[in-house]
Amino acid sequence: MDEKILEAMRKVFRSGDIDSTTSQANCETWDSLHHLNFIVELEEAFDMEFEPEEISEMKSFAAVKSIIKNKTK
Amino acid sequence: MFVFRNYTVESLFGEDTAFSGYGDISLIPDKENQLVWFYQVPLNFDLQSQLKEIEITRSKLQFVVASLAPGQSLYVLSLENLFPLRYSDTDTSLQDAVSGFNRLAMDLAATNPAVRFLDFGEFLSKYPAEEWINWRFYFISQMILSPVVAAGFKDWFNQRIAQIRGARKKCLVLDLDNTLWGGVLGEDGVQGIKIGGDYPGNAFLYFQEALVTLSKMGVMLAVCSKNNEADVFEAWNKNPFIKLKSDHISAHRINWDNKADNVRSIAKELNIGLDSMVFVDDNPTERELIRQQLPMVAVPEFPKKPYGLMAFYAKLLDDYFRAYLLTDEDFKKNEQYKANARRNLSQQQFTNLTDFIRSLEIEIDIMCVDEFNLPRIAQMTQKTNQFNLTTRRYTEADINGLIGAGADVYCISVRDRFGDNGITGAMIVNREGSTAKIDTFLLSCRILGKNIESAFFYSIVNKLLEQGVKELQSCYIPTAKNAQVADFYERHGMTLLDEKNGEKYYGMILTKPTVIDDYYTITYK
Repeated sequence: MDEKILEAMRKVFRSGDIDSTTSQANCETWDSLHHLNFIVELEEAFDMEFEPEEISEMKSFAAVKSIIKNKTK
Repeated sequence: MFVFRNYTVESLFGEDTAFSGYGDISLIPDKENQLVWFYQVPLNFDLQSQLKEIEITRSKLQFVVASLAPGQSLYVLSLENLFPLRYSDTDTSLQDAVSGFNRLAMDLAATNPAVRFLDFGEFLSKYPAEEWINWRFYFISQMILSPVVAAGFKDWFNQRIAQIRGARKKCLVLDLDNTLWGGVLGEDGVQGIKIGGDYPGNAFLYFQEALVTLSKMGVMLAVCSKNNEADVFEAWNKNPFIKLKSDHISAHRINWDNKADNVRSIAKELNIGLDSMVFVDDNPTERELIRQQLPMVAVPEFPKKPYGLMAFYAKLLDDYFRAYLLTDEDFKKNEQYKANARRNLSQQQFTNLTDFIRSLEIEIDIMCVDEFNLPRIAQMTQKTNQFNLTTRRYTEADINGLIGAGADVYCISVRDRFGDNGITGAMIVNREGSTAKIDTFLLSCRILGKNIESAFFYSIVNKLLEQGVKELQSCYIPTAKNAQVADFYERHGMTLLDEKNGEKYYGMILTKPTVIDDYYTITYK
């Protein structure tokens, strides 16, 4: 799962410098526009839909991972 | 690129695009040449305020169009209602306002070459209406088009822009057996091939009729088939269901040679580049051969079943042959190529070129640019490769920009006793005091071989001299295709002044007019 998330992040934010510590705060290209593209990418990769409340929380690798984990339970 | 918009559309355009504020037109960037107008019907539940807002959008668009600087283009996407709600079947006031806005945009495009209209509704119709907006994303970001629709938008938009800029293919090369008719002519015979009548013959018949129309729109059709030539001509003459016959075909290679060689020789005969050709063949091996040997030729996949030919035709049109604007020259082009073939036959009977040219009774009209010939001049700068000294590609808006900056723009229309070639050459000259500089000089390949280029060149030079020009400057910029004009200016009395990276710069002091061969009738209009 980690790798799938990282892959989506690399694809959308176009940075090689992405790992499990990346968040909106430390990634320059992670603006609101790219955030939506990232969500679209994740929805496709994990075949799920996120609620608006979840989308506004998914602003770091850790948060994304925990929300996906919750939904797959 | 800069986009005027009233909703969040950032994800639809490239990273280097800039955007107006929502509904804002107070800033028209003067450094951007490509502007886009992309408004949607306001999402609002009060009809009167929707109508009012559309009314305001009309004035905003008119204001932006009136404020365009020379050289700027505005691509206007049609206004569409992404969330149509109908409370009654008889009240069409919103639809009327939307189509009224789009009519205005089309009228602006028809009267101002800097404005171009794109039918966004055509793109939307590829998706079910309930997928246009994804409300989940809309409510968190105001993103007006759903990600699914947005994903297809960029390709569609870029394709339309390419069309407007004139990147249309010129020639469609067609196979015969199982492509234009069902079955194999050599085995099934003239009466046995499937064309017309019941399925699958009716599908091939429709395909042929569609291709005949395509040829009338100025696309050259060529046939490249492994067959006995005599069998094919017999089929063309005797099978009444075959609609696409030698009349519609500009060139054919019906033999057992390698198709890559045949396609190359068709390109040579028609005087066009391989990159302006599309190759259609039902045989995957032949398609693969062309893809490998001639990667510049476009090779679409062929439908697996004959009923797939209609969707295939629609795609051919969309991907390769759609034009923003078809000019009179497009409609006449195929006749002109046929007249050329008659001219070539006539050429063989003369022992020298001068006698031949004299016998053609060539008439050249030299015209200044006007609103009628401007689209054709822009089209020629986009499409002409071989006889083109600088290969500068211009849109109509670009040319208007040059005129605004003081350039003279000329074109020629050429007739002879075999037919009218229409507007087939252009020259753009920048003027500064008593110095003139040739920015663009090109001739369509259709009229080459008759020294019309020299007559045109000297006519303009004489005219400049008459107007008090004392010094002429010019240059040659090499491309992969224009080697035949590398020494044009040397051959026409100009002195090579400088050469760097293959680009050659010339000068000439004008003292007295050059006498032009009397076998051309030249008229200034």
